Amino acid sequence: MRVLGIESSCDETSAAVIRLDQGRPTLESVVILSQDVHKVFGGVVPELASRAHLTAIGPVVDRALGEAGATLDTIDAIAVTAGPGLVGALLVGLMYGKTLAWASGKPLIGVHHMEGHLFAPALEDAEFAPPFVALLVSGGHTLLLDVTAWGEYRLLGQTLDDAAGEAFDKVATLLGLGYPGGAPLERLAATGKAGKFVFPRPLLRDLKGDGPNRWNFSFSGLKTAVLRTVRLSTDLDAERADLARGFQDAAIEVLVEKTAVAVEELGYPLAMIGGGVACNRALAARLRERLGTRVRVSVASPRLNTDNAAMIAAAGAWRLARGERSGPGLEPSDSLPLPGLLSPAA
Amino acid sequence: MWLALETSSDRASVAVGHPGQVLSEVSLEGARRHAGALPRLIDEALGQAGVELSVLEAVVLGDGPGSFTGLRVGAAVAKALVRSHGMSFHTTPALAAIAWAAAPLPEERVLAVVNALRGEVYAAEYRFPEGRLEVLQEPTVWLPERLLADCPVPDVLCGIVPEGLAERLAEWQSGRHPRTVRGVATAGALLALAARRDGVTMVADPAGWEPRYGRPAEAQAKWERDHGQKLPDSPGHLS
Repeated sequence: MRVLGIESSCDETSAAVIRLDQGRPTLESVVILSQDVHKVFGGVVPELASRAHLTAIGPVVDRALGEAGATLDTIDAIAVTAGPGLVGALLVGLMYGKTLAWASGKPLIGVHHMEGHLFAPALEDAEFAPPFVALLVSGGHTLLLDVTAWGEYRLLGQTLDDAAGEAFDKVATLLGLGYPGGAPLERLAATGKAGKFVFPRPLLRDLKGDGPNRWNFSFSGLKTAVLRTVRLSTDLDAERADLARGFQDAAIEVLVEKTAVAVEELGYPLAMIGGGVACNRALAARLRERLGTRVRVSVASPRLNTDNAAMIAAAGAWRLARGERSGPGLEPSDSLPLPGLLSPAA
Repeated sequence: MWLALETSSDRASVAVGHPGQVLSEVSLEGARRHAGALPRLIDEALGQAGVELSVLEAVVLGDGPGSFTGLRVGAAVAKALVRSHGMSFHTTPALAAIAWAAAPLPEERVLAVVNALRGEVYAAEYRFPEGRLEVLQEPTVWLPERLLADCPVPDVLCGIVPEGLAERLAEWQSGRHPRTVRGVATAGALLALAARRDGVTMVADPAGWEPRYGRPAEAQAKWERDHGQKLPDSPGHLS
């Protein structure tokens, strides 16, 4: 089965073609157009994102088909991101994809964006399969999931306030690194001294008890602590790298510890990190270091961790293979619940 | 055979027919329902006309101004249809469709107005001489007082005039009052315009085409005011 994927939930217009053979997805093409316009605003402007998607969607889809040596006729089905995300942005890819499917009589499947992130490593890692613990960290989400099987997700924890990626972006802005700030912050942190600035590790102590926040995260207080230190700094230029390092070490320690303890308690041989923050190499390195050789940590390459249509096609292909279909009435949703998500108590 | 799509207002409508001839027309109220319902509406219109999607040779779309989201719903559907079935793609302003539906005489000047929110209106002025569409004023966003001051009294005023503006329009100087006709753009009117010279425009590059939004995004307008320059063009980068 050959699936065309379309993703437009935020500020990347993406299309991809994947092939599903005996349950294994393989990547044939992925095209990602990153909108640069939002840089001058220091964040994504929804209306501008939607406008840019509308002029990009056709060329991006055509390019993905072309690079895969495919045509609309040789595609078996279409998978589109249905949510969560910016509704106006989602709408463009979803309407384009569902109309292509409806007009050409191909099956359509609406995909949950975060389920897409869960499938990303499967495109490169042939051994990647549940059960595993997933840490999904992006600009909009921070989720710790127990993936018992594909389509069966137990929510362990999530952020109580800012998403991890949001915290990286906000701190990068505080340090004058521009937007998006994840990559420049990581580069700067690599040159900073560890321990020069020690910031709080929010909710890390809760890991020891059995309280409601045992697996949850919080990044708002950490960001404020950095802000306070930046304001007190008398020589920000000299301290910028150390501050970046201090923030990154704090954020990563909490993410790594909670993920590692979850994997150990569940006794799984596999963990994955997905989402835009998974592009941070220090995060993956620290988790691998922490878990040693007992647990393998699977992380997709950066272009499959940022928002992309290949992961949407992969998750969609799995659902299509189970016989699931979306109708032409499919609509975007900013708060789509993850399908197959069990509550923490379940 | 042509398909007409109009989604710029609360009413989505779809028509099937030929330029100047409507074989079927269906519509739906409620802007939030457009995205979910549009394929079904197209199916209904095709069914009522007794034709298959594959026989369509052209799409005509009301290109605005109007609801940003509504315009994108119609535009994304039209682009996908054009891409998958190789149809030609034509557009005309929703305001022209409103003006035509007011059934003016050939020499009458028709001012079509829709609510642009934030105290403004989108307005355009047309005339419909024999077999032709004449544009007297392209669709533009206006403050009501500027419209009253700068625009000569038309023969026909049509569209949906926002609350508060109707009374002020009655103060139009000169003592002459335009005939007023309430109405929204419909897909059937787009097919009628397609039969007129200059009534619709054929789009050479459907993929790169954008609707007539009527005004920039708010954040862009603010940035341009603050910086005294146009927002730099940034097509994005591919990876």
